[in-house]
Amino acid sequence: MLYEHAIDEEIAQMEEDIEASQKALQVSEIQVPLRSLMRGCITIDIAASTQTAIDMLIRHRIGAASVVENEKLRGIFGERDVLRKILNRQVGELSDIPVTQFMKVDPQTAKPDDMLDTAVLYMAKGGFRHLPIVNEDQQPIGMVSIRDVISYLVDFFPQEVLTLPPNPIRDALKAREGA
Amino acid sequence: MVSLFIKVTAKTKHPFIEVNFKESKRMDARTLSLPISTLDYKQPSTVQEGTPVSDAIDIMQAEGFGCVLVVDNDQRLIGIITDRDLLVNVCGKRLDPESVSVEEIMSKNPESLRASDPIAFALNLMHLGHFRHVPLSIWDDQNQQFPVGLISTRDILEHVAIFIENQ
Repeated sequence: MLYEHAIDEEIAQMEEDIEASQKALQVSEIQVPLRSLMRGCITIDIAASTQTAIDMLIRHRIGAASVVENEKLRGIFGERDVLRKILNRQVGELSDIPVTQFMKVDPQTAKPDDMLDTAVLYMAKGGFRHLPIVNEDQQPIGMVSIRDVISYLVDFFPQEVLTLPPNPIRDALKAREGA
Repeated sequence: MVSLFIKVTAKTKHPFIEVNFKESKRMDARTLSLPISTLDYKQPSTVQEGTPVSDAIDIMQAEGFGCVLVVDNDQRLIGIITDRDLLVNVCGKRLDPESVSVEEIMSKNPESLRASDPIAFALNLMHLGHFRHVPLSIWDDQNQQFPVGLISTRDILEHVAIFIENQ
Protein backbone atom coordinates (compact mmCIF):
# COMPACT_ATOMS: atom_id res chain seq x y z
CA MET A 1 0.00 0.00 0.00
CA LEU A 2 2.85 2.34 0.85
CA TYR A 3 4.37 1.50 -2.52
CA GLU A 4 1.13 2.31 -4.40
CA HIS A 5 0.83 5.58 -2.50
CA ALA A 6 4.36 6.49 -3.46
CA ILE A 7 3.60 5.75 -7.13
CA ASP A 8 0.44 7.89 -7.02
CA GLU A 9 2.40 10.74 -5.53
CA GLU A 10 5.09 10.38 -8.17
CA ILE A 11 2.52 10.40 -11.00
CA ALA A 12 0.79 13.45 -9.52
CA GLN A 13 4.13 15.23 -9.30
CA MET A 14 4.95 14.33 -12.92
CA GLU A 15 1.61 15.69 -14.09
CA GLU A 16 2.25 18.91 -12.20
CA ASP A 17 5.68 19.20 -13.78
CA ILE A 18 4.29 18.61 -17.26
CA GLU A 19 1.58 21.21 -16.69
CA ALA A 20 4.17 23.71 -15.48
CA SER A 21 6.34 23.15 -18.55
CA GLN A 22 3.57 23.83 -21.03
CA LYS A 23 4.28 26.93 -22.98
CA ALA A 24 1.83 27.78 -25.70
CA LEU A 25 2.38 30.24 -28.50
CA GLN A 26 -0.55 32.61 -28.78
CA VAL A 27 -1.32 34.60 -31.89
CA SER A 28 -0.82 37.77 -29.86
CA GLU A 29 2.79 36.69 -29.38
CA ILE A 30 3.29 36.32 -33.12
CA GLN A 31 2.13 39.89 -33.47
CA VAL A 32 5.57 41.35 -33.09
CA PRO A 33 6.41 44.15 -35.52
CA LEU A 34 8.57 43.20 -38.47
CA ARG A 35 10.96 46.06 -37.72
CA SER A 36 12.17 44.08 -34.71
CA LEU A 37 12.96 41.03 -36.87
CA MET A 38 14.01 42.31 -40.27
CA ARG A 39 17.55 42.19 -41.52
CA GLY A 40 19.40 44.89 -43.38
CA CYS A 41 18.45 45.29 -47.00
CA ILE A 42 20.88 44.57 -49.84
CA THR A 43 19.79 46.36 -53.01
CA ILE A 44 20.59 45.88 -56.68
CA ASP A 45 20.26 48.77 -59.10
CA ILE A 46 17.71 48.17 -61.81
CA ALA A 47 20.37 48.78 -64.47
CA ALA A 48 22.61 45.99 -63.12
CA SER A 49 23.36 42.90 -65.16
CA THR A 50 22.15 39.49 -64.05
CA GLN A 51 25.73 38.40 -63.38
CA THR A 52 26.28 41.42 -61.11
CA ALA A 53 23.10 40.55 -59.23
CA ILE A 54 24.20 36.91 -58.84
CA ASP A 55 27.63 38.02 -57.60
CA MET A 56 25.90 40.16 -54.95
CA LEU A 57 23.82 37.21 -53.74
CA ILE A 58 26.98 35.15 -53.41
CA ARG A 59 29.16 37.87 -51.88
CA HIS A 60 26.58 38.91 -49.27
CA ARG A 61 25.48 35.32 -48.60
CA ILE A 62 21.82 36.14 -49.07
CA GLY A 63 19.02 34.28 -50.79
CA ALA A 64 17.36 37.29 -52.37
CA ALA A 65 17.90 41.01 -52.86
CA SER A 66 15.68 43.97 -53.65
CA VAL A 67 15.96 45.55 -57.10
CA VAL A 68 15.56 49.32 -56.92
CA GLU A 69 15.07 52.20 -59.31
CA ASN A 70 15.70 55.67 -57.85
CA GLU A 71 15.73 53.97 -54.42
CA LYS A 72 12.20 52.61 -54.90
CA LEU A 73 11.49 48.91 -54.94
CA ARG A 74 10.77 47.53 -58.38
CA GLY A 75 11.44 43.82 -57.96
CA ILE A 76 13.15 41.04 -56.07
CA PHE A 77 15.78 38.66 -57.41
CA GLY A 78 16.93 35.52 -55.65
CA GLU A 79 18.47 32.08 -55.93
CA ARG A 80 15.06 30.58 -56.69
CA ASP A 81 14.87 32.77 -59.83
CA VAL A 82 18.30 31.50 -60.85
CA LEU A 83 17.18 27.87 -60.53
CA ARG A 84 13.86 28.31 -62.28
CA LYS A 85 14.70 30.77 -65.04
CA ILE A 86 18.43 30.63 -65.75
CA LEU A 87 20.08 27.27 -65.07
CA ASN A 88 19.93 24.82 -68.00
CA ARG A 89 18.20 27.50 -70.09
CA GLN A 90 19.74 28.99 -73.20
CA VAL A 91 19.58 32.54 -71.89
CA GLY A 92 22.83 33.95 -73.25
CA GLU A 93 25.67 35.77 -71.52
CA LEU A 94 24.47 36.83 -68.05
CA SER A 95 26.75 39.88 -68.04
CA ASP A 96 24.80 41.24 -71.00
CA ILE A 97 21.30 40.56 -69.70
CA PRO A 98 19.71 43.03 -67.27
CA VAL A 99 18.46 41.61 -63.98
CA THR A 100 15.02 42.96 -64.85
CA GLN A 101 14.58 40.05 -67.24
CA PHE A 102 14.62 37.48 -64.42
CA MET A 103 13.49 39.37 -61.31
CA LYS A 104 10.02 39.07 -59.87
CA VAL A 105 8.29 42.37 -60.65
CA ASP A 106 6.32 44.23 -57.98
CA PRO A 107 6.70 41.61 -55.23
CA GLN A 108 4.52 41.36 -52.16
CA THR A 109 5.85 43.76 -49.53
CA ALA A 110 5.14 44.61 -45.91
CA LYS A 111 5.60 47.67 -43.75
CA PRO A 112 7.92 47.72 -40.73
CA ASP A 113 4.93 48.11 -38.41
CA ASP A 114 3.13 45.10 -39.91
CA MET A 115 3.15 42.07 -37.66
CA LEU A 116 4.97 38.77 -38.02
CA ASP A 117 1.73 36.82 -38.41
CA THR A 118 0.93 38.88 -41.50
CA ALA A 119 4.34 38.09 -42.95
CA VAL A 120 3.89 34.36 -42.24
CA LEU A 121 0.57 34.30 -44.08
CA TYR A 122 2.00 36.24 -47.03
CA MET A 123 4.92 33.82 -47.34
CA ALA A 124 2.83 30.68 -46.85
CA LYS A 125 0.16 31.65 -49.37
CA GLY A 126 2.48 33.27 -51.89
CA GLY A 127 5.03 30.45 -51.72
CA PHE A 128 8.00 32.78 -51.32
CA ARG A 129 10.82 32.80 -48.82
CA HIS A 130 11.60 36.49 -48.65
CA LEU A 131 9.43 39.49 -47.92
CA PRO A 132 10.87 42.97 -48.59
CA ILE A 133 10.00 45.58 -45.98
CA VAL A 134 9.38 49.03 -47.45
CA ASN A 135 8.69 52.48 -46.01
CA GLU A 136 5.91 54.86 -47.01
CA ASP A 137 7.85 55.89 -50.11
CA GLN A 138 8.23 52.27 -51.30
CA GLN A 139 11.93 52.33 -50.45
CA PRO A 140 13.19 48.96 -49.22
CA ILE A 141 14.51 49.18 -45.67
CA GLY A 142 14.77 45.51 -44.72
CA MET A 143 14.03 41.89 -45.52
CA VAL A 144 12.24 39.15 -43.57
CA SER A 145 12.74 35.51 -44.56
CA ILE A 146 11.44 32.11 -43.54
CA ARG A 147 14.65 31.73 -41.58
CA ASP A 148 13.63 34.67 -39.39
CA VAL A 149 10.33 32.90 -38.61
CA ILE A 150 12.25 29.77 -37.60
CA SER A 151 14.56 31.87 -35.42
CA TYR A 152 11.54 33.47 -33.74
CA LEU A 153 10.08 30.03 -32.92
CA VAL A 154 13.41 28.85 -31.54
CA ASP A 155 13.71 31.97 -29.42
CA PHE A 156 10.21 31.34 -28.09
CA PHE A 157 10.82 27.69 -27.27
CA PRO A 158 14.55 27.66 -26.47
CA GLN A 159 14.26 24.96 -23.84
CA GLU A 160 12.43 22.58 -26.16
CA VAL A 161 14.59 23.20 -29.22
CA LEU A 162 18.08 24.16 -28.13
CA THR A 163 18.49 21.66 -25.32
CA LEU A 164 17.66 18.65 -27.50
CA PRO A 165 20.78 17.79 -29.48
CA PRO A 166 19.60 14.88 -31.65
CA ASN A 167 22.62 12.62 -31.67
CA PRO A 168 23.32 12.24 -27.94
CA ILE A 169 19.70 11.36 -27.28
CA ARG A 170 19.61 8.88 -30.14
CA ASP A 171 22.89 7.35 -28.97
CA ALA A 172 21.55 7.09 -25.43
CA LEU A 173 18.49 5.23 -26.70
CA LYS A 174 20.70 2.90 -28.71
CA ALA A 175 22.82 2.19 -25.68
CA ARG A 176 19.72 1.36 -23.68
CA GLU A 177 18.38 -0.90 -26.41
CA GLY A 178 21.68 -2.74 -26.50
CA ALA A 179 21.90 -3.08 -22.74
CA MET B 1 14.94 -5.10 -51.81
CA VAL B 2 16.24 -1.97 -50.18
CA SER B 3 14.09 0.35 -52.30
CA LEU B 4 10.95 -1.66 -51.43
CA PHE B 5 11.72 -1.29 -47.74
CA ILE B 6 12.26 2.43 -48.13
CA LYS B 7 8.97 2.87 -49.90
CA VAL B 8 7.01 1.14 -47.17
CA THR B 9 8.80 2.94 -44.38
CA ALA B 10 8.33 6.34 -45.98
CA LYS B 11 4.57 6.06 -45.67
CA THR B 12 4.62 4.67 -42.16
CA LYS B 13 3.45 7.18 -39.58
CA HIS B 14 4.33 7.12 -35.91
CA PRO B 15 2.37 4.19 -34.47
CA PHE B 16 1.63 5.67 -31.07
CA ILE B 17 0.59 9.20 -31.86
CA GLU B 18 -2.53 9.91 -33.86
CA VAL B 19 -2.44 13.69 -33.62
CA ASN B 20 -2.32 15.35 -37.00
CA PHE B 21 0.09 18.22 -36.56
CA LYS B 22 -1.57 20.19 -39.35
CA GLU B 23 -4.95 20.06 -37.65
CA SER B 24 -3.59 21.15 -34.31
CA LYS B 25 -4.96 24.48 -33.14
CA ARG B 26 -2.30 24.95 -30.53
CA MET B 27 1.33 25.56 -31.00
CA ASP B 28 3.07 24.71 -27.79
CA ALA B 29 5.89 22.77 -26.27
CA ARG B 30 4.02 19.50 -26.73
CA THR B 31 3.55 20.24 -30.41
CA LEU B 32 7.30 20.44 -30.83
CA SER B 33 7.75 17.06 -29.19
CA LEU B 34 5.49 15.37 -31.74
CA PRO B 35 7.32 13.27 -34.33
CA ILE B 36 8.18 14.80 -37.69
CA SER B 37 5.97 12.13 -39.29
CA THR B 38 2.92 14.08 -38.06
CA LEU B 39 3.84 16.69 -40.65
CA ASP B 40 3.13 15.87 -44.26
CA TYR B 41 6.79 15.69 -45.15
CA LYS B 42 7.76 15.20 -48.77
CA GLN B 43 9.24 12.26 -50.58
CA PRO B 44 12.77 13.25 -51.57
CA SER B 45 14.03 13.61 -55.11
CA THR B 46 17.26 11.65 -55.47
CA VAL B 47 20.03 11.34 -58.04
CA GLN B 48 22.76 8.73 -58.25
CA GLU B 49 26.41 9.68 -57.76
CA GLY B 50 28.02 10.31 -61.11
CA THR B 51 24.95 12.10 -62.44
CA PRO B 52 25.72 15.38 -64.25
CA VAL B 53 24.67 18.49 -62.35
CA SER B 54 22.50 19.47 -65.33
CA ASP B 55 20.31 16.39 -64.70
CA ALA B 56 19.93 17.38 -61.04
CA ILE B 57 18.85 20.85 -62.18
CA ASP B 58 16.27 19.29 -64.53
CA ILE B 59 14.81 17.29 -61.64
CA MET B 60 14.68 20.27 -59.28
CA GLN B 61 12.96 22.38 -61.93
CA ALA B 62 10.45 19.65 -62.76
CA GLU B 63 9.65 18.85 -59.13
CA GLY B 64 9.72 22.46 -57.95
CA PHE B 65 12.08 21.49 -55.11
CA GLY B 66 14.93 23.59 -53.79
CA CYS B 67 17.16 20.57 -53.28
CA VAL B 68 17.93 17.06 -54.43
CA LEU B 69 19.53 14.25 -52.42
CA VAL B 70 22.51 12.32 -53.78
CA VAL B 71 22.67 8.56 -53.22
CA ASP B 72 25.25 5.93 -54.08
CA ASN B 73 24.56 2.80 -56.10
CA ASP B 74 23.09 1.09 -53.01
CA GLN B 75 20.70 4.02 -52.41
CA ARG B 76 22.65 5.21 -49.38
CA LEU B 77 22.51 8.95 -48.70
CA ILE B 78 25.87 10.58 -49.46
CA GLY B 79 25.04 14.22 -50.13
CA ILE B 80 22.61 17.03 -50.81
CA ILE B 81 22.54 19.73 -53.50
CA THR B 82 20.54 22.89 -52.88
CA ASP B 83 19.71 25.81 -55.14
CA ARG B 84 22.37 27.70 -53.17
CA ASP B 85 25.03 25.18 -54.23
CA LEU B 86 23.96 25.64 -57.84
CA LEU B 87 24.12 29.42 -57.55
CA VAL B 88 27.61 29.39 -56.06
CA ASN B 89 29.13 26.70 -58.27
CA VAL B 90 27.41 27.02 -61.64
CA CYS B 91 26.84 30.79 -61.74
CA GLY B 92 29.63 31.91 -59.40
CA LYS B 93 32.48 29.55 -60.30
CA ARG B 94 31.20 29.13 -63.86
CA LEU B 95 31.34 25.32 -63.71
CA ASP B 96 29.73 23.59 -66.68
CA PRO B 97 26.73 21.68 -65.27
CA GLU B 98 26.88 19.12 -68.07
CA SER B 99 30.48 18.13 -67.42
CA VAL B 100 30.51 18.31 -63.61
CA SER B 101 29.01 15.46 -61.58
CA VAL B 102 26.82 16.01 -58.55
CA GLU B 103 29.33 14.78 -55.98
CA GLU B 104 31.72 17.58 -56.97
CA ILE B 105 29.40 20.31 -55.71
CA MET B 106 27.19 18.52 -53.16
CA SER B 107 27.43 18.99 -49.40
CA LYS B 108 28.69 15.63 -48.21
CA ASN B 109 27.07 13.56 -45.45
CA PRO B 110 24.24 15.97 -44.61
CA GLU B 111 22.71 16.00 -41.14
CA SER B 112 19.73 13.69 -41.23
CA LEU B 113 16.88 12.76 -38.87
CA ARG B 114 14.37 9.96 -38.43
CA ALA B 115 10.70 10.58 -39.19
CA SER B 116 10.05 9.52 -35.58
CA ASP B 117 12.31 12.25 -34.17
CA PRO B 118 10.57 15.25 -32.56
CA ILE B 119 9.87 18.32 -34.67
CA ALA B 120 12.09 20.21 -32.21
CA PHE B 121 15.10 18.32 -33.61
CA ALA B 122 14.35 19.62 -37.10
CA LEU B 123 13.99 23.17 -35.78
CA ASN B 124 17.27 22.75 -33.96
CA LEU B 125 19.12 21.76 -37.15
CA MET B 126 17.44 24.44 -39.24
CA HIS B 127 18.32 27.14 -36.73
CA LEU B 128 21.81 26.16 -35.63
CA GLY B 129 22.92 24.56 -38.89
CA HIS B 130 21.22 27.14 -41.11
CA PHE B 131 19.74 24.27 -43.13
CA ARG B 132 16.66 24.93 -45.21
CA HIS B 133 16.12 21.23 -45.86
CA VAL B 134 16.69 18.27 -43.56
CA PRO B 135 16.66 14.74 -45.04
CA LEU B 136 14.77 12.00 -43.19
CA SER B 137 16.42 8.62 -43.24
CA ILE B 138 16.31 5.10 -41.97
CA TRP B 139 19.47 3.41 -40.73
CA ASP B 140 20.45 -0.23 -41.20
CA ASP B 141 22.52 -2.42 -38.89
CA GLN B 142 25.74 -1.08 -40.39
CA ASN B 143 24.65 2.49 -39.60
CA GLN B 144 24.19 3.23 -43.31
CA GLN B 145 21.40 5.70 -43.98
CA PHE B 146 18.76 5.54 -46.68
CA PRO B 147 16.70 8.67 -47.43
CA VAL B 148 12.91 8.32 -47.11
CA GLY B 149 11.76 11.93 -46.78
CA LEU B 150 12.58 15.58 -46.61
CA ILE B 151 11.40 18.31 -44.27
CA SER B 152 11.91 21.98 -45.07
CA THR B 153 11.54 25.33 -43.39
CA ARG B 154 8.48 25.79 -45.62
CA ASP B 155 6.76 22.82 -43.91
CA ILE B 156 7.27 24.54 -40.55
CA LEU B 157 6.11 27.89 -41.94
CA GLU B 158 2.94 26.33 -43.34
CA HIS B 159 2.12 24.87 -39.97
CA VAL B 160 2.57 28.25 -38.30
CA ALA B 161 0.27 29.76 -40.96
CA ILE B 162 -2.41 27.14 -40.24
CA PHE B 163 -2.07 27.83 -36.52
CA ILE B 164 -2.56 31.56 -37.13
CA GLU B 165 -5.60 31.01 -39.34
CA ASN B 166 -7.21 28.63 -36.83
CA GLN B 167 -7.14 31.17 -34.03
